[in-house]
Amino acid sequence: MTRIGRQLSIGKTDNTSDQRTPRKRLRLIPTDVRESFVPVIPARAVQRQNEWDLTRIAPNRPRAEGSPIEVKGTVRNESGTLLRGALIEIWNANHYGRYRHVEDHSGLKLDENFFGIGRVITDEYGNYRFWTISPGAYLARPDIGRWRPKHIHLSISCGSSRLITQMYFPNEPNNASDPMALLMGDSFDRNLGKPYETKIPEVDRGYDFDIVVGGKNAIFFE
Amino acid sequence: MTNKQQPILLLPTNEDTTGPYFPTYFSDESYEDLTQIHSGVIAGPTGQHIILRGSVLDRNGKLANGVLLEFWQANAKGIYRNPSSENHPDLDPWFDGYGRLRSTTGEYTYRTILPGASKDRAPNITVTIFSDGINRIVTQIFFANQKANEIDPLLTTLSDQDRKRLTAKYEGPSPDGADVYTLDIIMAGDNETPFFDDFLS
Repeated sequence: MTRIGRQLSIGKTDNTSDQRTPRKRLRLIPTDVRESFVPVIPARAVQRQNEWDLTRIAPNRPRAEGSPIEVKGTVRNESGTLLRGALIEIWNANHYGRYRHVEDHSGLKLDENFFGIGRVITDEYGNYRFWTISPGAYLARPDIGRWRPKHIHLSISCGSSRLITQMYFPNEPNNASDPMALLMGDSFDRNLGKPYETKIPEVDRGYDFDIVVGGKNAIFFE
Repeated sequence: MTNKQQPILLLPTNEDTTGPYFPTYFSDESYEDLTQIHSGVIAGPTGQHIILRGSVLDRNGKLANGVLLEFWQANAKGIYRNPSSENHPDLDPWFDGYGRLRSTTGEYTYRTILPGASKDRAPNITVTIFSDGINRIVTQIFFANQKANEIDPLLTTLSDQDRKRLTAKYEGPSPDGADVYTLDIIMAGDNETPFFDDFLS
């Protein structure tokens, strides 16, 4: 049975997607060279204690502006194996939609109490939890009035499991027009945080976001 | 004919674009230069130091600013450090094989040791590119003047043109004795680099 490689889709109204998406089909990898395509990332330690709590720059500093939220979940691969000791690198915009990255030239307001970058490591049950400020949506394409919906960036590394994804928020109006979300189609709901009421005063609400790292690399050595 | 039980798989979370602001704050020099553990200690892998450099370009020949590159390779003896090679006598204690760098401009310079030919493979480095506008794309880079290129089981599946697109040119030695290789990666359009599907295949 011959299989034809996938052709990657281009995000509608996304100029960068048009500029950077390969036009040719992806090549299939022959079985006898498959191992060379499976990176195994060494375990890494989180550097600073406070990196799980993005709502403050340090434990004794004031809260950042906006709505503090909790995000938690379990990380697995497609065969259901818990990914323990997975490094999750997190970044999101502040309440106004601004990143502290030097390349964010949007001119949106900075929050002196928000850094917007964090890291957590999953525990022995594959669980993670972090706090952050609910990010603002921002005008990604002023020329056509397209806003990026609220989202949190997550980069997950655990052995041969590797995923860069985004968590979105339910019922946000800008979800419907986001080019990458549109490409996901009905499966977009896998990238939605599921809201829950929190019982603690430090956060306004929580979002459950269980992550499944897909693809053959994540299960290659099982 | 056996009736294999298909395992029930969980639905995967969708990959998504990295966007333009992957934190350079997460950069780690030890992942940008695999030839030494740290400048303050005497520790590093065996093998020929190489510098692999080039530009990641878009469909219009412009630099793909802000790309995140991840590299993966075998050590100088051709052994990968993975669950299959635990306790292998030819593992190098100072070498994992994983590297990462986030390029502001789209140009990259990566320092490592030349991977050894392994089993029947020519020396190669797998490169994953994360970028704004896409999720990720994956390719594998080879090195000029390696005899094993002629019989490498991946290269031999590709056209002549595609083989050239994946073969880094040798530019000569650097002042500190590293062999310099260059290769531009073209994400789309004329002279597009071949990319491979490691998600499904």
